[in-house]
Amino acid sequence: MAAQETETMQERESVGKRLWRSASVPVLSIILALVIGGVILALSGNNPIAAYVALLRGSFGSAEAFGRTLEKATPLIFGGLAVAFAFKAGLFNIGGQGQLLIGAIIAAYVGFAFDGLPFIIHMPLALIAGAVAGGLYGAIAGALKAYTGAHEVITTIMLNYVAINLTDYLADGPWKDEGIIARTPAVLESAVIPTWGFLPFGFLLAVLAAIATWYLVYRTTFGYAIRTTGINPNAAQYAGIKVSQVIILTMGISGFLAGMGGAVETLGVVGRYQPGFNLGLGFDGITIALLAKTNPLGVIPAAILIGAMQAGSSQMQFSAGVPFQIIDVIQALILFFVSADIIVRKVFRMRETGGEKITLSTGWGS
Amino acid sequence: MFKRISLLMVILALVSLVLAACNSSDPEDCSSDEVFCVGLVTDVGEVDDKSFNQSAWEGVQGAEGVDKVEFIETGDAKDYGANIALFAEDGYDVIVTVGFAMGEATAEAAATYPDIDFIGVDQFQGEAIDNVAGLIFNEDKAGFLAGALAAMLSETGTIGAVLGTDLVPPVVAFKEGYEGGARYINPDINLISTYHPGGMDVAFTDPEWGASTAKQALDQGADVIFGAGGKTGNGALGEVAGAEGAYCIGVDTDQWETAPEAHGCLVSSAMKLITPGVQALIAASKAGELPAGNYIGDVGLASFHDFDSEVSQEIKDTLSDLEQQLAAGTLETGYNPGG
Repeated sequence: MAAQETETMQERESVGKRLWRSASVPVLSIILALVIGGVILALSGNNPIAAYVALLRGSFGSAEAFGRTLEKATPLIFGGLAVAFAFKAGLFNIGGQGQLLIGAIIAAYVGFAFDGLPFIIHMPLALIAGAVAGGLYGAIAGALKAYTGAHEVITTIMLNYVAINLTDYLADGPWKDEGIIARTPAVLESAVIPTWGFLPFGFLLAVLAAIATWYLVYRTTFGYAIRTTGINPNAAQYAGIKVSQVIILTMGISGFLAGMGGAVETLGVVGRYQPGFNLGLGFDGITIALLAKTNPLGVIPAAILIGAMQAGSSQMQFSAGVPFQIIDVIQALILFFVSADIIVRKVFRMRETGGEKITLSTGWGS
Repeated sequence: MFKRISLLMVILALVSLVLAACNSSDPEDCSSDEVFCVGLVTDVGEVDDKSFNQSAWEGVQGAEGVDKVEFIETGDAKDYGANIALFAEDGYDVIVTVGFAMGEATAEAAATYPDIDFIGVDQFQGEAIDNVAGLIFNEDKAGFLAGALAAMLSETGTIGAVLGTDLVPPVVAFKEGYEGGARYINPDINLISTYHPGGMDVAFTDPEWGASTAKQALDQGADVIFGAGGKTGNGALGEVAGAEGAYCIGVDTDQWETAPEAHGCLVSSAMKLITPGVQALIAASKAGELPAGNYIGDVGLASFHDFDSEVSQEIKDTLSDLEQQLAAGTLETGYNPGG
């Protein structure tokens, strides 16, 4: 009921107002985090202005820098979409990292093992193979939840470890490259996702995925079933929605998105699967999804912001002598303020507004 | 009240900016011929990691005739190339890259910037590149000495090793050398060697696992433990320090200096002498004589520190004899990376 009312209210408001209403807390959280980050920098003897200028220069200061920002943002968009999408059904997918690793290594395998295919077939095949592998991996946690009630937070965390060790084994065993380094061979030229000038094609794929996810959630019957399940699974069941099916499919699609992120990273950035090269990407997805307030389109600017901070952090170290860990501090502060938005509202003296509440996770056994 | 807090924040921020603006410094120009600059890019991890990065950085700082030194800590393995490029574009003369994993990025950068000398710590050079010197070590020889020492000190006939991941070849070399050295002294010795089961992301940063694995080995009767694997190994050392009558052996650097929590057991460390190796290569580069290809640095055991009196002269003589034989190549460690 509440969600429906706000939706009709939102339709009557102007686009600008609607945008501000949903973006105000994240934007103010970012400002607050940057200010506090600046204070921390100053207290530790650094010049915050110099640090932030260097950060900007390293992330938007040149075509290459901007390209690196988009490159960093790409897997974050996929990871953020995976988490945001699962949230819509009331599921907290912490397994983005594992699904991403599975997607990355399967894409690498298809990329190096399938010889003789033209680009137009090989690249999409490797991409989709990685995404489907991630999807199947995500669906495991969904099935466990649907049929046994095992909570997805626990199962996805454990499945992350399975994925880490499985990929390490494959990269150091059956799929190992020649030489002593544990990694797969490089993917063939025909499977590489190109970069146009400074613009990585993978970024465009990520944007398309965000639009498709938004459409799926807000403009289809299945999306309606997902959102209904997210608000109240019991009511959804009563209304004739097959909740267990929705849960499995949602986790599958969530894993599909994360897996595609891993595949894009393998085919577009790393060029092979190598343990240690995809660290934390899936976990950053949680930050991105919360910063975007689980809106699939909001994931894009959120990922660009975090991607820019990661891309600029080396320049910041080099020019301003600031350790890159400050980026983690600022990122954590943003996450903190977005989650505890009451602090932001109090500081900036905003009124409580309605709108979609983010359900982090449902209780045990539900 | 909240208005006051936000006001306070703004004032704090402004004051801090003014304060900070006072201590901005004027950097030297590295692109000038007169200014000799050395930059260091760390492997994923921090420059004060009490291990590789730190030893290499100490070598950079201690090098003679250098006008400016700077480091960049790598947060993401995909940034190796970008971080090297920051130094290269600024006209640095020598760039030191730390760690096996950065070998490829270093070779690529060397091709892009042929006028800059690169020193790759722990980077084996398959083919010599004119402007790259790979500082490598025979870890198995250092491990062999540690294993021999462990076998001679052990009273129970059981010794252990707590190791980082076998995904990294030098860790394997340490382990194989350690076991070879122990068996050389006592063919019947009982060895409990455990690799961290996790991936690259946790294998070197998991002191809790290191500690619990060391405890298991102690429970199974081990009385000497070799900890080789960054913070994971340090966790093992710290655990052994709390056990009665057990010794531990550190790795890479003299861990007496870097792991004070292990003073209760740290009899020695299997060292790669990274600091002098880096210093020597920087000096060679400054003289215009960087040795292309592999440069084999020295290995050895660290001094016994507080345990000097507990290590008999007989043991010391045996160790120095083994060290000479290993250096001369008359003694094999049993480590064979090909098979």
